[in-house]
Amino acid sequence: MRTARPIGLYVHVPFCQHKCAYCDFYSVVTLEAMERYVEALCREIALRAEFGAANAEVVTVFWGGGTPSLLTPAQVEQIARALSETFRFASDVEWTIEANPGTISMDKLRLYRQLGVNRLSFGVQSFDEHELRFLERIHTVTEAEEAINSARAAGFDNINLDIMYALPGQEPQTHKRNLERACRLGTDHISAYSLVYEPGTPLYTRRQRGQIIPLNDEQEAMLYAMTVAILEDHGFRQYEVSNFAREGKQCRHNLLYWHRGEYVGFGPSAHSHWENVRWSNVRNIHRYVEALERGELPIAQKEQLSELEQRTEYVFLGLRADGIELQSVVEWVGSDHAGDVLRLIEQWAYAGWATIEQGWIHLTSAGYALCDALTVELLDVLDRAHEAIFTHR
Amino acid sequence: MASLIPMERYRNFCIIAHIDHGKSTLADRLLERTGRVTARDMVTDQILDDNPLEQERGITIKLHAVQMDYTARDGRTYTLNLIDTPGHVDFSYEVSRSLAACEGALLVVDATQGVEAQTISNLYLAVDAGLEIIPVINKIDLPSASTMIENVKAQIIDLIGCKEEEILLASAKAGIGIEDILEAVVHRIPPPTGDPDAPLRALIYDSLYDPYRGVVVNVRIFDGTLREKDKVLFMATGQVYEVDEVGVLYMEQHRTGVLSAGNVGYFTAAIRRVRDTKVGDTVTHAQRPCREPIAGFREVKPMVFSGIYPADSDDFEDLRDALEKLALNDAAIHFEPETSAALGFGFRCGFLGLLHMEIVQERLEREFNQTIVTTVPNVRYLVRRTDGTELWVENPAQMPEPVKIAEIFEPYIRAQIITPTEYIGPIMQLCIERRGTLLGQHYLTQTRVDMAVELPLAEVVFDFYDKLKSISRGYASLDYEYSDYKPGDLVKLDILLNGDPVDALSTIVHRQKAYEWGRRLCSKLKKIIPRHLFEVVIQAAIGSKIIARDSIAPLRKNVLAKCYGGDVTRKRKLLEKQKEGKKRMKQIGRVEVPQEAFLAVLSLDDQS
Repeated sequence: MRTARPIGLYVHVPFCQHKCAYCDFYSVVTLEAMERYVEALCREIALRAEFGAANAEVVTVFWGGGTPSLLTPAQVEQIARALSETFRFASDVEWTIEANPGTISMDKLRLYRQLGVNRLSFGVQSFDEHELRFLERIHTVTEAEEAINSARAAGFDNINLDIMYALPGQEPQTHKRNLERACRLGTDHISAYSLVYEPGTPLYTRRQRGQIIPLNDEQEAMLYAMTVAILEDHGFRQYEVSNFAREGKQCRHNLLYWHRGEYVGFGPSAHSHWENVRWSNVRNIHRYVEALERGELPIAQKEQLSELEQRTEYVFLGLRADGIELQSVVEWVGSDHAGDVLRLIEQWAYAGWATIEQGWIHLTSAGYALCDALTVELLDVLDRAHEAIFTHR
Repeated sequence: MASLIPMERYRNFCIIAHIDHGKSTLADRLLERTGRVTARDMVTDQILDDNPLEQERGITIKLHAVQMDYTARDGRTYTLNLIDTPGHVDFSYEVSRSLAACEGALLVVDATQGVEAQTISNLYLAVDAGLEIIPVINKIDLPSASTMIENVKAQIIDLIGCKEEEILLASAKAGIGIEDILEAVVHRIPPPTGDPDAPLRALIYDSLYDPYRGVVVNVRIFDGTLREKDKVLFMATGQVYEVDEVGVLYMEQHRTGVLSAGNVGYFTAAIRRVRDTKVGDTVTHAQRPCREPIAGFREVKPMVFSGIYPADSDDFEDLRDALEKLALNDAAIHFEPETSAALGFGFRCGFLGLLHMEIVQERLEREFNQTIVTTVPNVRYLVRRTDGTELWVENPAQMPEPVKIAEIFEPYIRAQIITPTEYIGPIMQLCIERRGTLLGQHYLTQTRVDMAVELPLAEVVFDFYDKLKSISRGYASLDYEYSDYKPGDLVKLDILLNGDPVDALSTIVHRQKAYEWGRRLCSKLKKIIPRHLFEVVIQAAIGSKIIARDSIAPLRKNVLAKCYGGDVTRKRKLLEKQKEGKKRMKQIGRVEVPQEAFLAVLSLDDQS
């Protein structure tokens, strides 16, 4: 008997009513192409029947964007049908749809449930009207609360809220209120992201021009520590740099990414990972649609991961999330350099950045705050060991 | 054939001018007028400055010579050898040697600027060498010139004591007065003297490296005749070579097979390095040597030193190759391997001066594609130890411990600064800050003064020239000559990062300045060194005594909030970039120091 091979599916819905000032995910604000997009998407899904044939079993589905909740009920059904015709779903599949509180309705929520969607992710970002306007969100605080309550009423028992903090000039009290309000709404999962000024976004431009002054490292670090403390007080457990969940409510789709699992992405700019090959689709709705109308896959980039790159991924994804296994890292560097790795990890533990439990290295919340710097430190040690081994050959 | 022209038809001359006063343009115009180049050849202005660095900076680094034929108003054709001179104080010895190859000089002064310091010092060299000086006021067609010409004339008369009617007026750019200049060269500059049959006496005034033929030696023949196949002796080095090729210099080398007394030209002899052909050396026949070498030869000694290291320690051998190749064509550069705890393996290099140092650095990067880290330049100190022995110190890191030092001597220069009178105050202030002593001042005109100042060379090495230019709005000019060593109350200032000394950041400073210097250096480094996972303590120390301290707070947050969904590649690339950035830094203990930190001292005055 062949064992099922777990995979995840990602569907990118690249449409928004309005583009938020911080967002650099691919989306367009004109909705004309939606029909052709849905057609093309279904074609793309059908072209990937090979994964179904490879005994893959879908364990997670994630519809992100853009704004998946902009899709009409008919479109949602059409895409869902295409997926289920091509892929075999596990009985306990986790199926998440991202929703904008401003574009959700009770009808849509009921439809999602009927189709089998069992997790919702609301881009709430803040419970402060002023901050919502700054971020250029299209919804109000009231709408956000109503959307969450409706989702509960429709039977959803696994709801995530995205919260954004470290906005310019943000007072710790405001952030605290945002988090507490998110917790009080009976949320199961919170993704709390500190604001990143991504090149190409309006906020980035404004910062470059000196029109807004970002918080400094100390302020950001303080808000981060506060986030961790408040959410833990409310029964959440941190399982990644920016992600917090109640018991049993960790996002399995995210974990699949961080555990280097296999997944196939559909839609413009979607990413995939299969047999140590990573590829991404074109980041343009028109080129995406045109390629599929010609019957071609809309792939923009593809790379085969070297062994070293696979290890690098394991280290940085693991450190960001729920840890890396000490034994495998030590094996990579060999006995000559194992000491270097152990010394570094001891330093981390001594500084309170990491713990070692049952052979696993986990970052603490102080460690998460420094995750990139620590990752680079460890990769540096691994690189040097690798170079030394390479030269000795 | 060149050798058939009688000696009285030769004229050997050079041009003395300040940067931008039109030397190169005038040279171009003379070449054009004598038919050596056509106007069409003059695509880029200033043909003689063929090094891109020279064109960019408007200065001459390597010497050039060119021979032209001019039919004068008397109907006779003369052969003129124009020998170019380098235009920077770092190269004053080379200037003196090329002047020695001439009988006359054109003194070119910008009608709107007047005489500048550099012009004066080169002029004095020319007068000392007994050259006939032909003053030329250039750029007379500029609108602002008319009011200034009389003034400039007065300055020139004051300087060289000539008659007013001896001063020529010209505009090289507009082609005005070119023929008058050529006539003056023919009639006022004496022809060379010498005996073509006497033992060979040829002065090396320049040499350059040709990858196919070896060194091309440029010479002025004083006595005798040089022919191909001759065995020649270089008197200062004692080396003997067989001459392959002899010729004169047009725009290109023009082989003649023979070169005799009074003429200027080149020869090759399969010589491998320019270092073997020392400027100022005398070339004679090995079998029939002359009795005395031509006077004035001296070994060129480096005055400014700096460490040059490969940015990536693995490139040490590449850097060595590059320096060796560079030295083929630059006899003045000295280098020897040294090790720094901070920077790894590199070279301690000696330069004629700061400009020479910059040129070498730029050539290494541009011509040889080296990515280098350079340390703060320093001078050479003479240390008398308590046990009576002496030590030359070219690298501050080699300075003995304070208790073992009886006395330190440092090199001084005699600077000549010419400035409009309104800047005397600020310039005096600057000189005093730099431990200078005013030796005297002399008014060139009512509004221009010539100041003679004695300064420690070490104080000039640090951005003195830039400071001088900025406080005088660019009007003051500087020239200097090396004088002698004098004792100074000097100390070695060390920088420590988390307790580890950074040898490449050690400097030698005057004791009274050490505290201020240390404080500023610490705060500068604080800005340059990035935050680490731990606190970084920066200290300045004299011996074991800490005199300044600063610290860099540890990193508090270094993580990107998002992992970009399924786009793992993007995150990996960001981390790889961060890792590469780290690799480019130099490791001091656990502290990573960006390369620009090693030159931080040079910009200590930045107020930010």
